[in-house]
Amino acid sequence: MPPRSRPEAAVAFLEIEDLSIHFGGVRALDGVDLKVGEWEIVGLIGPNGAGKTTLFNCVTGFYRPDRGRVRYRGKDVTHMRPHRRAAMGFGRTFQQVGLVRSLTVMENLLVAQHARVRYTALEALVGVPGAFTEERELRRRAEGILDFLELSPVRDERIQGLPYGAQKLVELGAVLATEPDILLLDEPSSGMAPEEARTLGETLLRMRRELELTILMIEHHVPLVVGVCDHVFVLNFGRMLADGPPSEIQRHPEVIAAYLGEEAVDGPS
Amino acid sequence: MASRTDNKRTVAGEVTPGVTAGAGAHEDAKVFRPSPIGWAARASFLLVVFGGLLVLPLILPGYRTFQYSYALIFAIVGLSVNVLSGYAGQISLGHQAFVGVGAFVSGNLVSEQHLSFWLALPLAAVSGGVAAGLLGLVALRLRGLYLALVTLAYGAVATASIFEIKSLTRGGAGMPAPRPAGFTSDRAYTYLVLGVFALVLWVDWRLVRSKVGRALFALRENEQVAASFGIDVTLYKVLAFVLSGFFAGVAGSLFAHWRTTVVASDFDFILALTFVLMAVVGGLGSRAGVVIGSAFFALLPVLLGTVTVKPFGLLALWVTAFGAALLLITLRFYPGGVGQQIQPLVRWASGGRLGLNSRAPAESAGGGSGVS
Amino acid sequence: MKVALVIGLATGAINGLVALGIVLVYKGARVFNFAQAEFGTVAAFAAWGALTKAHLPYGLAIVVGLAAAVAMGMAVERAIVRPLRARPPVTTLVATAGVALLCIGLELALGGARMRVFPPVPVTFNVSVMGVMLSTQRIIAILVVISLGLALAWFFSRTSLGLAVLATSQEAIAARLAGISIDHVSTFIWGSAALLGGIAGLLLAPINPFSPGFMTMGTLIPAFTAAVIGGLTSLPGAFVGGVLIGIAQGLGQQYLGSVIPGAPSVVVFGLLLTVLLIRPKGLFGAEV
Repeated sequence: MPPRSRPEAAVAFLEIEDLSIHFGGVRALDGVDLKVGEWEIVGLIGPNGAGKTTLFNCVTGFYRPDRGRVRYRGKDVTHMRPHRRAAMGFGRTFQQVGLVRSLTVMENLLVAQHARVRYTALEALVGVPGAFTEERELRRRAEGILDFLELSPVRDERIQGLPYGAQKLVELGAVLATEPDILLLDEPSSGMAPEEARTLGETLLRMRRELELTILMIEHHVPLVVGVCDHVFVLNFGRMLADGPPSEIQRHPEVIAAYLGEEAVDGPS
Repeated sequence: MASRTDNKRTVAGEVTPGVTAGAGAHEDAKVFRPSPIGWAARASFLLVVFGGLLVLPLILPGYRTFQYSYALIFAIVGLSVNVLSGYAGQISLGHQAFVGVGAFVSGNLVSEQHLSFWLALPLAAVSGGVAAGLLGLVALRLRGLYLALVTLAYGAVATASIFEIKSLTRGGAGMPAPRPAGFTSDRAYTYLVLGVFALVLWVDWRLVRSKVGRALFALRENEQVAASFGIDVTLYKVLAFVLSGFFAGVAGSLFAHWRTTVVASDFDFILALTFVLMAVVGGLGSRAGVVIGSAFFALLPVLLGTVTVKPFGLLALWVTAFGAALLLITLRFYPGGVGQQIQPLVRWASGGRLGLNSRAPAESAGGGSGVS
Repeated sequence: MKVALVIGLATGAINGLVALGIVLVYKGARVFNFAQAEFGTVAAFAAWGALTKAHLPYGLAIVVGLAAAVAMGMAVERAIVRPLRARPPVTTLVATAGVALLCIGLELALGGARMRVFPPVPVTFNVSVMGVMLSTQRIIAILVVISLGLALAWFFSRTSLGLAVLATSQEAIAARLAGISIDHVSTFIWGSAALLGGIAGLLLAPINPFSPGFMTMGTLIPAFTAAVIGGLTSLPGAFVGGVLIGIAQGLGQQYLGSVIPGAPSVVVFGLLLTVLLIRPKGLFGAEV
């Protein structure tokens, strides 16, 4: 089913066209179309196993699709390797926390800026003065993100020692450190209590506004999706089932049917 | 828009000091800075240590400086293994091959091509880097156990075959490797080695405190996450091998000219395992630990000398067994090796708090390794 | 060429035996035993001591040698492998390398590095295969290894203990729930592997003068290459791999030996690399 045209998506920031991939005999994605307009917050929902994370992996370059295209700002990135996409502005979070566990919060925020570092490896090893200055700059930027997310108290904690909620927040910080133009968030609210999810929603809106971000997120948490997303796509068994504004999707008969087998904790209201 | 205090209690709520008690008293977000007295104490300590290293060759008798430089050379090899296995988490059971390449290339360039030592040393380093880089390419396709086996076999081929090619290495007769003019005495050569050691330490320090080191720590743990941060995993994996091989080549060249002759049997299988064990006992990931561990293993047979103890007999023969026992004890009981034990001291000396709890962070290296 | 083939068959059989031990431990405990070959050196030294110092009869000396190897295997399992079970596999790999080094170190310390001659078997019969004379020792080696290979294959497919071992390696928790004791299985595996390794050492020692670490230096790399070629989990594969490697080494030495020093090592390395890059499962393996 082709995505509905909407005025916001006229400037298609991220465009997924006829994406298909199979593993073994299983067709994980089948002819998926999806469009995200600039500065939109788009939700990707669907029952477990629908292929949402697989879609993310194709978009970010960890899987190579059998068929179809991924276009970013008009440029075909379908075969671009993951680190190049990251450098182009793809920021992504993972279901398991996408951080380097054995490093500290600060060190993670420094690594995350890797693509933005201007000095070369050789200059780093030799110890060119420019590299020193830039290192200070990296640290300053990291401190800024720590402030923004109020994580400064745990700057020097190892990730593995932090509670889950804090880890997810640090992951958000790390993603911001990559200076993305588009954020792909994989279940950002997982493990969070309802209050925290609400605050997350506000943080996302704030980020969109202050940092001019575009967001595509996989989510299960209905109030978050309803409260924050401009547009929602529904994936089921590797196929795009429906798309539309959250209010419509909530009432969509096929979507409800698809979820009936699921533990829809905060079901459609 | 929720107020700041609201945020503190909800999403960031878990992050306040009360709940993360035991994190060290981070009551405020400021970084710890030592007092002037603290700086003075740390500076004096470092002065004693580094000054001591610098002055030692002047005080020691000639043959002891010979051993001192041997220890420094081993320390450089240890740093080489540390880059590959400690920082990048790649196992290497054939490291003697890279050292040997450096040794033979250096000796060959000086004795046969009549190049200056000062040119031979960097070229030897480069050749070590290339030899390791080839293995790095293989490492892109193989993981874990299979990579370990290949590194072992690679090392064996180097010793059994490549280093025996007469035209390259003069086979059993040994490749001569004369010392450069002005540095022929043991004492002078020791200062040369010390200088190169300092350079290697500098590069290693810059490595860790730059995007290169951080990229290695990231890809050691999780390649997907590293890629999502923009790190070219392929490039950095191979780079880890190349850097490691570069250091090993340096050590090889220094070794060759220290001995003034090299033969293939200098680089046997037992040496390969010794390199691994000294790095593990020293503590993978810890620069200071690895240097201490390596120097210790280099000096041990020397220190034991001709000491004979009943019923063991000549103690120097027991070094290999002793080393292996230390390795096993380290793996079993002290996975972080010497490095982990001295971590509080190292942290203090680099301007941190004096805290004896090892939970506090280590900015010096990624902390820990794949082997513990 | 025929000489290389036939002699290679005997060396290959012994490599295959060491490879069998490697596969046994890998199959049973998912651990690569770096010290597998060293079991053989330990057995050889113990038996040599029994023969030349204690002047025991040949048969008894063999038993002493094997007992030493088995004791070592069980000690390694108890003191090293079991405590490290929860750690990443690379730790155990390095630990078994440490064990091998420890053994070599002790051999060096206790007896020095000199070569020793192992007294040959007190019976003699020579057989000619394809026109090539095979010494008694080599014939014994081939026969012993073939019978052991067959016995192991039967063990793993027919006996309940063998199946228990397989079960533990594949599904440890389920096996434990079924009442199988992991510790007992582990001890058994390591004891058996040590036995195989000991036999290999006692078969090789009389062929050429031996020295500390000779089994590890001479057979470890060919043996694990054989195991890999066979597919790390296939016992018959390990044996076939061993023979192939033995023959390849012999041919390599014969045809390339004058051009390339250390030709057998190069050949083995080439085979290892080829298999791992092209067909990591090996010829028979079921899983990577």
